[in-house]
Amino acid sequence: MEDLARTIADEAKARGAAFADVRILHRRSESIMVQDGRADKLSAYTDRGIGVRVLVGRCWGFASADSLERSRAEKCVDDALALARASEAFVSDPAMVAAVEPVEAEDFREAEIPSAAMPVKEKIARCLEYEHAGRAAGGQAIVNSIVSYADGSREEILANTAGTVVRTAVSRAVASCMMVASDGKTLQRGLEHRGIVGGAELLRQTEPEAFGEQAAKKALALLAAKPAPAGRFTVIFHPSITGLLVHEALGHNAEADAVWAGQSILEGRLGETLAAPGVSIYDDSTLPGEFGSYAYDSEGAASRRRTIIDNGQLVGFLHSLETAAKFKTDPTGSGRAESYDCRPIVRMSNTFMGRGTVPIDEMIRGVDRGIYLMDGHWGYVFVQKGQFICHAGQARMIERGRLGEPLRDVSISSMTLDTLKKIDAVGDDFEMKMPGMCGKEGQTAPTDCGGPHVRVGDVVVGGHNIE
Amino acid sequence: MSDKISYLDVCAECVEKAVRLGAEWCDVSAGAARDISVTIEKSGIKTADAGQGEDVAIRVFVKGGMGYAVVSGRDRHDIDSTVERAVALAKEATPDPDFKRLPSPQPAAEVEGLFDDRIAGMSVEEVVRIAVANIEAAKAMEPEVNLSGHVSISVGEGALASSAGVRLESRGTEIDADIEALVKRGSDTGYFYDFDFGRHVADCRLEAVSASAVTGARRFLGARRIHSGRMTLVLGPLAAYGFLGGIVGAANAESIQRGRSYLCGKVGEKIASKHLTIVDNGLMPRGVRSGAHDGEGTRRRPLVVVENGGLVSLLHNSYTAGKACAESTGHGTHSGGIAPTNLRPALGPRPAAEIIKEVKEGIYLESGEIRADPASGDISASIDFGFYVKDGEILYPVESAMMGGNILDLLTRLDAVSSDARLEPGILMPTLRIQDVQIAGTE
Repeated sequence: MEDLARTIADEAKARGAAFADVRILHRRSESIMVQDGRADKLSAYTDRGIGVRVLVGRCWGFASADSLERSRAEKCVDDALALARASEAFVSDPAMVAAVEPVEAEDFREAEIPSAAMPVKEKIARCLEYEHAGRAAGGQAIVNSIVSYADGSREEILANTAGTVVRTAVSRAVASCMMVASDGKTLQRGLEHRGIVGGAELLRQTEPEAFGEQAAKKALALLAAKPAPAGRFTVIFHPSITGLLVHEALGHNAEADAVWAGQSILEGRLGETLAAPGVSIYDDSTLPGEFGSYAYDSEGAASRRRTIIDNGQLVGFLHSLETAAKFKTDPTGSGRAESYDCRPIVRMSNTFMGRGTVPIDEMIRGVDRGIYLMDGHWGYVFVQKGQFICHAGQARMIERGRLGEPLRDVSISSMTLDTLKKIDAVGDDFEMKMPGMCGKEGQTAPTDCGGPHVRVGDVVVGGHNIE
Repeated sequence: MSDKISYLDVCAECVEKAVRLGAEWCDVSAGAARDISVTIEKSGIKTADAGQGEDVAIRVFVKGGMGYAVVSGRDRHDIDSTVERAVALAKEATPDPDFKRLPSPQPAAEVEGLFDDRIAGMSVEEVVRIAVANIEAAKAMEPEVNLSGHVSISVGEGALASSAGVRLESRGTEIDADIEALVKRGSDTGYFYDFDFGRHVADCRLEAVSASAVTGARRFLGARRIHSGRMTLVLGPLAAYGFLGGIVGAANAESIQRGRSYLCGKVGEKIASKHLTIVDNGLMPRGVRSGAHDGEGTRRRPLVVVENGGLVSLLHNSYTAGKACAESTGHGTHSGGIAPTNLRPALGPRPAAEIIKEVKEGIYLESGEIRADPASGDISASIDFGFYVKDGEILYPVESAMMGGNILDLLTRLDAVSSDARLEPGILMPTLRIQDVQIAGTE
């Protein structure tokens, strides 16, 4: 397969491409869904194919096929060249690629327990244990429970006309648990997620008490919680919400393709102080076992740690080969493609805020009236406007320096640059447990995010009643 | 396809093999799609992409337990292994007595206009031409506009066969233009988007999308903070479409049978004011969500989901229908899920302009997600693309505001549906008005 990738890249060059890269990808996964005591949906997915990207004159062309037959690969070259040539006259911003030293490398990350090494029956039994633990903790209040588990592998061969050939293989595993509780008046959900670079060892590492039981406890706690008040509050972010902040609010804005396209609020601000002192934010795809980690990106650039904000100052962006050329800097190994039929685009990996110095108790003591946001669920961002939205599954009121009544279902909306400057305390703790699939331009990429607790003044909370 | 066996034959062979290996029930879908997509960035063409792919999806039931396996490509060995995997997984699954049967063959509905030869024959140059027309139109209006987006086409064909005797073939086309416009005046930024899609080129205004995106972006210049309070919320067509889609999505029989939806126990009851009626119709001619049958082979039919505020029907697939001793409504997906099709809310007596004119103080939400928690129905959402309305006039765009409440409360306070609507092929998007909504501002 490596020969096919090299040959096709060479062929594209011989036929006029200034640069070309060829990716051959094979992905396999299996998943289990346990619901209400039964593992009644088991699934398996396999895909395999080739993607050919060419740079002709000023424009990119990209074509893919779900076959590794030589004739189909050659057709991809034909199509990619034709696509680029048909578009070239209408380019306003010429495409380019950073000149980098060619790399010949391979990285095969064997899972501790590969998917096939653990029988499906054993995986099902473990999922049922999680569900049972949740049901036991929640008792009659639990009306629906879902535990899902999936593991899979991704093998990728990348060859380009600069002479780079990289072969990688990586496995990932994810598990999630949802417990739905009812008190006869309302329904509430408790969610737990885990994800690693690895395999079925995730099921050995994840204890039922810390997973199924925890999800049930969250659901029960929410039954007793009140809707959040609406208005402006000082808020304390749990590390899961800090993770959403650094991923959604800052991370997407720091993707250099958005910056170059004039779609990011960080355009032209490199070197400026954009966050409060003590705030440092990183993206690091080298962290062992973390869900967003990988050895080489889909363009053959090595993984690394990237500093985005250093003690409040914007110091760098995430780069692909193309954005590195345009910004006249080095690629950061951030060009990721979901599958063979996708172009690499600039993506995050594991994005987090560095640890600070303030203990959480001290942080809470300093708030007269505010909200402690926990259990980060989801978020999204409008990079063009610099606005982000985060949703917390759980929250607590803070009254006169103490945690007060539980709240449910709270979202916040804020402007990225305002929020980063309004951080007045960074916690001395750290947690990164937000594995998920980040979406961008129709592609998904495995990422994680986290950080310490942080405190932010004057944030808009979307609650039910103004107090 | 001419030099290969048909997708229907591939499906039938897989069904036969699965049954031979022990499947009690089996259905198989197979098909191909060909796509071209042109990407716009910085008001020019960034890249042109093309893809071509086939896949085969095998679903097997043994004692009600489901094994599902999908493989890309047409390699015979891969497909055979995938059939074996699906059967093996079904045998490993826990028996499920709630599974009754897969759908029997039914007379096929006729749905006109799902395939457009013009789209099927489109060259890259033609797709590029639509993208360029959008760029030129936008620049003529706003020379410094930063335009991004895509123009894409998709041509697909597929087949479905089952052990219950279903044998179906289908094909379809789609064309789509989605454009985002960013307009700057000093440090002020206006941003908006628009799109158009359809199954026929003739049903779309593909070259006019950028003009409405630029107009929208200009309107969002000069955003201001607003005060908090209880106000009227008017959902424009795009916002209303997402809002209503969430309600129909929640009328999913699986979620309700499993006890995890805020609509549990509400069938036959009022969930909204009398102004709300929503029909889901997967048979609309040329409709973007139309098809003669669902992913399991059940014939589609129009379904009244909400009628004069009452929840009258749920969306079923064959599993939930079997469990409820009801008929499938034709909303099944092949992987076992349930999905809405074309939404057709009943229109009201007065146009949107009149409905807005009566607002004393409120928010007009042009677009944005009002997402309810699927279990509790609680909403805590951002006003992403909203305007402040005072004494019937849309005054200025709103910055950093949020809304909250519970969806069932909001629906009881829905007091108007417009008589005019944005029309997309098969879909109606009217304007909705909801009274007394909690808005949190920053002024």
